[in-house]
Amino acid sequence: MNTVFKGEHLLPGHLGQIFVIISFGAALLSAISYYFATTNTDKLDKSWLKMGRIAFYLNGASILGIGTCLFYVIYNHYFEYHYAWAYTSRELPVYYIIAGFWNGQEGGFLLWAFWQAVLGLVLIRRAKSWEQPVMTVVSLSQVLLASMLLGIEVFGMRLGSSPFLLLRDAVEGPIFSNPDYLSFIKDGQGMNPLLQNYWMVIHPPVLFLGLASVAIPFAYAIAGLWQKRYKEWVNPAISYSLFGAMILGVGVIMGSLWAYESLNFGGFWAWDPVENASIFPWLTLVAGLHVLIVFKNTGHAYVTATILILLSFILVLYESFLARSGVLGEASVHAFTDLGMFWQLVIFILIFLALSIWVLVARWKELPITKKDEDTYSREFWMFVGAIFLGLSCFHLVLVTSIPVWNAMFGTKLAPPAESVTHYNVVQGSFAVVIALLTGFTQFLKYKKTDVTRFFITTLLYFVFAALITALVVYTTGLYKLRFVFQLVMLTSIYSILVNAKVLSDSFKGKFKLAGSAVAHIGFGLMLVGALIAAGTRKVISVNDKGIGIANFSKAGDERENVMIYKNEPTKMGDYTITYLGDSVSQPNHYYKVNYKRYDKGGKLTEEFLLKPNVQINPQMGLTPSPDTKHYLFHDLYTHITALPPIKEKPATEEAAMHGEQNDDANYDAPITHEVAPGDTIRFREGYMVLKALNKDAKVQNIPIAAGDIAIGAKLEVVAHGKTYEAEPVYMIKKNSAFDFARKIEDVGLKLRFSKVLPEKNKVEITVYQQPESKRPWIVMSALDFPYINFLWSGTIIMVIGFLMSLSRRNKELKTT
Amino acid sequence: MKKSSILGLVTIAVAIAVIISLYSSTSTYGTFVDAKNTNGSLHVIGHLDKQKELYYDAAKDANYFSFYMTDKKGNECKVVFSGTKPQDFERSEQIVLVGEMRGNEFHASHIQMKCPSKYTQDKVEVTEASAKKADI
Repeated sequence: MNTVFKGEHLLPGHLGQIFVIISFGAALLSAISYYFATTNTDKLDKSWLKMGRIAFYLNGASILGIGTCLFYVIYNHYFEYHYAWAYTSRELPVYYIIAGFWNGQEGGFLLWAFWQAVLGLVLIRRAKSWEQPVMTVVSLSQVLLASMLLGIEVFGMRLGSSPFLLLRDAVEGPIFSNPDYLSFIKDGQGMNPLLQNYWMVIHPPVLFLGLASVAIPFAYAIAGLWQKRYKEWVNPAISYSLFGAMILGVGVIMGSLWAYESLNFGGFWAWDPVENASIFPWLTLVAGLHVLIVFKNTGHAYVTATILILLSFILVLYESFLARSGVLGEASVHAFTDLGMFWQLVIFILIFLALSIWVLVARWKELPITKKDEDTYSREFWMFVGAIFLGLSCFHLVLVTSIPVWNAMFGTKLAPPAESVTHYNVVQGSFAVVIALLTGFTQFLKYKKTDVTRFFITTLLYFVFAALITALVVYTTGLYKLRFVFQLVMLTSIYSILVNAKVLSDSFKGKFKLAGSAVAHIGFGLMLVGALIAAGTRKVISVNDKGIGIANFSKAGDERENVMIYKNEPTKMGDYTITYLGDSVSQPNHYYKVNYKRYDKGGKLTEEFLLKPNVQINPQMGLTPSPDTKHYLFHDLYTHITALPPIKEKPATEEAAMHGEQNDDANYDAPITHEVAPGDTIRFREGYMVLKALNKDAKVQNIPIAAGDIAIGAKLEVVAHGKTYEAEPVYMIKKNSAFDFARKIEDVGLKLRFSKVLPEKNKVEITVYQQPESKRPWIVMSALDFPYINFLWSGTIIMVIGFLMSLSRRNKELKTT
Repeated sequence: MKKSSILGLVTIAVAIAVIISLYSSTSTYGTFVDAKNTNGSLHVIGHLDKQKELYYDAAKDANYFSFYMTDKKGNECKVVFSGTKPQDFERSEQIVLVGEMRGNEFHASHIQMKCPSKYTQDKVEVTEASAKKADI
């Protein structure tokens, strides 16, 4: 069909597609050139090396080109492109348009390839004699990433998915037989409301930099074995592993902070498969990093170190497979759906797995494996044990998270553990006990050989001290209510913090080399402490004991954490008195103002603040709530909306209300009439009102008062929930007919009519309509208290500082050697 | 025995322990009939019966939600959940419950639903767009 479509902008797409193909071709050329540059025996012949570099530059430039074209398409709202249509819309602000860039899987791969290209450029500048073999591996990885963006049919199999796919090619629809179809597509689908958050702008770039940087130690390991430079690759690999572990760690914690700040699952970590997958490579990389240092210092544990480093990158690829292949299905809330790249992702993993196994097997006999046994009282032995346990913790995570993969592979029908959070907490908690303990007492050991009695005395001393602090912490935070293993985690974490604080203070006296690791371990210990207390002693503030209830409900749903509150009706909740004050709309968010007040025992107001949890209303996604949190130094008060009455698109105007008078009355309980004189009081359910005076020249909007017409207003002062409102319903006689104009006080759910004048009694009749409770505006919310969560965030920052210190030390060592 | 071999044995022992702990804690996917016959909790996949009542009245109890679900074998059962009604529950295509049978009611501790979301399904919404045809 050769329809000529109107209004399409095909140039940026064609250009982008050309860049995609160039980036693939250039990466391939670069990998081949670097391969021959490595195997070339003529040391003076630099032609392959030059070609490899030029091709790599070309690859980097074309990635920038793809990015520019894609940005152009998104920024100009060219919805003829599927990517722009699917992930952005006209109303998105510019910073979300940037985020829209990596909203889809193609954008993710692009970002990954971009960082890997940047790291490649760093290697070209810094790697010196390592450039050829290391860049061979990096370029190969770049080839496979570029292939993910190709979107070309090869032998009947679609290779990759192009970000420049046209909407009419991506989606079937009769609309596309119309050459003028674009004039019907006015807007894109927009970004998933859950992602419209500033974290979406900064989290993915950090995470993808972390993922890309895991490839560098991997490339060094392959290069070291391939080039038989068995011991030399370790030093640069330590530096790059430190960098990778730092960035990846930050990326993961950023994701968790994002979840905590603005998603609605009520916490910072949910053990969702995609979350778990993001820490697989971190665990093995940190383990590998430690074993590399062991090897560097003693010559032991070479194979373990190499395997862990190789495995880290394989797990990065596996993580990508889990998140993108659709294999997780219903097991995860945030996995992507399959873009038809299942097998391509599998092949990506298999290529690098095969490469890893091949270098190990081919070089096995030459590897520097020591036959000598390690000393029990040496630091490296226990560092090695710690690394093994990090690896085992990763093994457990991989095993459980991959249940859908086992089902797909073996045709089994296993379901994830029913109480999966408890399962992960207990098992991972047990590993944390061992690991934290090791990060503690290992510090008292020297490399190679230690004075045994002194070691036991100091270890024990610190342990007793840690136990005392732990007892205090466990008692004050209420951690004793939890399983014993969590108290052990607390004990060993505090122990680790204390010991490393001692190492840090010693380091100022001279052994400054160890300061970095001490700081990083303190940070890690604080993270464990913070996560443990916050997750373990999380308190439900909004405990609701009202209702029909279900006795002894199964554990998870036992908390009854949702309370319903009516507008302007103060409700007691824990130590707080909360009042739902009203809502405000700032498209697409609806904010619900909840006022928190706290009184001391004498009834004096000690604290008052406003939280505005919001809900996004999206025609396709429905309602997505987002919490608001009051941060204190030592705890957080977290509030989010869990249910709402159906939201009316536009509140009815006064005129509309007049027209639908009959219908409107149905929204109220049966009216009650009161005969009152000025100064009299009328009581109603929520409070009382006083008729202050009668106003002889009341005015009603848009109704002129002619001579002979009478308009009287009843000035009412309404007091409800400690607030005073004024209302003036009007009674009117116009051309001998009586009318009355009711007034509403929405906050209290009242409608007031001045229904009759009773001259003989010198009174007037006021009709009070009161909304039944169910018609009053309400929200259902839940409030949680996360104690000491700031330890988790500050621990992360401290750990990063530790990584930076170690990184600068290792880089100095690299320069001197 | 060398220390490295001891460590190797410990590692293998822990690995086996992990596998066993996983094996003992994995749940199974079942039906309501299976749920009646087992004591522990299990996963049930099915779909919402849209003909029957979805009950959630925040004014009466903000933590009680009940509905009827048909499992994969076609058996229907009343499901009770202690919590609020998940947003857009009516639109769900598939529901995965984790929980156990109590009498004739299935008490779910966890509900996961799959919605026909625009983010996973490509459908051009012509209706919305064509309403604006006038301004061409």
